[in-house]
Amino acid sequence: MAITPTQFAITTRQSRNWKDAQHQVLSTYRKWIRAAPEIQTMYSVPLPVSAIRTRIRQEFERNRFVNKLSAVDVLIFRSHADYQETMNFWRQTTHIMSYFKEESLHRTKDRPTNFLEGFLEGRN
Amino acid sequence: MFRSAVLRSTAAAVRTASMRPMSTTARRAAIAAAAPRITLAAAPRAVAWQAVRCYSAAGGLEKKDVYERIKLLLSGFDKVNDPSNITEKAHFANDLGLDSLDTVEVVMAIEEVRTPLLLPRHP
Repeated sequence: MAITPTQFAITTRQSRNWKDAQHQVLSTYRKWIRAAPEIQTMYSVPLPVSAIRTRIRQEFERNRFVNKLSAVDVLIFRSHADYQETMNFWRQTTHIMSYFKEESLHRTKDRPTNFLEGFLEGRN
Repeated sequence: MFRSAVLRSTAAAVRTASMRPMSTTARRAAIAAAAPRITLAAAPRAVAWQAVRCYSAAGGLEKKDVYERIKLLLSGFDKVNDPSNITEKAHFANDLGLDSLDTVEVVMAIEEVRTPLLLPRHP
């Protein structure tokens, strides 16, 4: 019985040279940028599509100065794997929103942390 | 996909229409009196179209319109180093100071936002 791969699955391969790696990176970047509106609707992200695209760009910029080709291969694989997990709806909204912690859209403070805050709130 | 079907149907219709007026004028000339008639030059009657409907407007964009749209898009992009650099022959990286990720974003914006252009992939 032949096993069919799940949707959006990509066979991992080693890049032959830096140009090949760049081509891979650009094509996966293109896929992510294309998918941004769909991610917004699927996971009900309360942000505009441009914010999601900026975040995607930030993640790619974070790894801009990697010097080793094999490390870049691993990053490309992770990009493909994350893309598959996102587009197959294997993740949840919380996983997507964990990329947007700086926006502080989640509830930050449940309880008073030190004595004086609790005292002033009157929670005793 | 539909264009070839439309062309085939119009070609067939024109062929049948060009044949028909010849026979009617011949009949009229035979039956009528010897008054000289001005026969219409093979003007086709309402031809029978096949059921291919064309709802869209004619043709694509002119090159100038395409250039204007792309220029509008690029001038709204903050990373371009100088808006006066945007010309027809401007290179994204050399002249406008965009890196490869920016190029991908710009190409995507051209494809999706306003213009119905599909651009080929260049690595």
